[in-house]
Amino acid sequence: MDQLELLKKDWKKQEGSLPKLSREDISKLIHKKSSSIVKWIFIISVLELIIPYIPYLFIDYSKNTEFAKEFGLSSFFIIFSAIFYIVIIYFIFRFYKNYKSISANSNSKELMQNIIKTRRAVKHYIWFNLGMIPLMASILFYKIFNSTEFLEKLPEETSMTSVWLLAFIFILITVALLWLFYRLLYGILLNKLRSNYKELISNGVD
Amino acid sequence: MTKELEHKFVGDLEQNQNIVHKVCRIYTNNQDAHNDLFQEISIQLWKAYPKFRGEAKFSTWMYRVALNTAITLYRKSKRTIKTQDFDSVLYKIESSEYDDTEEEQLKVLYKAIHHLSDIEKALIFLYLEDKNYREIAETMGITEVNARVKMNRVKNKLKKILNP
Repeated sequence: MDQLELLKKDWKKQEGSLPKLSREDISKLIHKKSSSIVKWIFIISVLELIIPYIPYLFIDYSKNTEFAKEFGLSSFFIIFSAIFYIVIIYFIFRFYKNYKSISANSNSKELMQNIIKTRRAVKHYIWFNLGMIPLMASILFYKIFNSTEFLEKLPEETSMTSVWLLAFIFILITVALLWLFYRLLYGILLNKLRSNYKELISNGVD
Repeated sequence: MTKELEHKFVGDLEQNQNIVHKVCRIYTNNQDAHNDLFQEISIQLWKAYPKFRGEAKFSTWMYRVALNTAITLYRKSKRTIKTQDFDSVLYKIESSEYDDTEEEQLKVLYKAIHHLSDIEKALIFLYLEDKNYREIAETMGITEVNARVKMNRVKNKLKKILNP
């Protein structure tokens, strides 16, 4: 007999030895806390959506506008704030829509796809924020480095090239660290799922 | 209404609980892990139940949700004992006092199944449950051709372990 057929026969025989839970046991079980990955994805994603905006809570806006006025950045800040708010609303909407589509009723492939899509919305949002850092910082540094206040304090022999170089290294390290942290988090959450997904759709037939 | 729904669900699950236990047998290798996974599958079934419209048979729907939980949704608890890797099993079979009796073969097969990937486990499980390729394809969301290709690969992998 084929070994796998033998296995199948034994598998059926084993049904008798399976545990048997009562209705009461099952009633209790279904009200316990879930340890589903989706719950974690939701919590972490919401945190990721919020965290880039936490610093704004601690900003003293009167000082901020003064600072902006001093460096002639008022309109710049208004435009960027507007863009930021539109973008965050867009990403929250996209995240929510994808999150809602995650259902254990889907087939395996769909379920994995929907989870990956949900995380993708967060990933793009992180990219956007990481991309904004060099842009915002460059403009800010440009304005600061060209202000008379800064130039007065700068020692005579310092070349502007080295000042800019330092500024860029600082920006680069900040972005790289944030990116690494994000990749780590993303990896912990989705590595297994992604490899399962790849395996499932491999063969190029699907 | 909710109480009524819950009552009906618990009854249905109690009657079909074998499916969940069998999924747990494939995906876990100790009692603690079995109970853990059983609990998570039950929770997921209950959460998904309001959307179960009875288009499919209750048991067919259970296969889908149970496998989704085992493959994708379930996060293994720390209690789960880490299993040895696939190679060490192969090595053991080659070197140890390999017995050709049916019982020994089955033991080796069950052990080998525990070292398959999550997707391979699902395929073997559906094979053992006598599901046809159409059902397997529908459950997993792949084409029948892909299901066949994958199934053959897993079967060959298992056979190789038995006949090194």
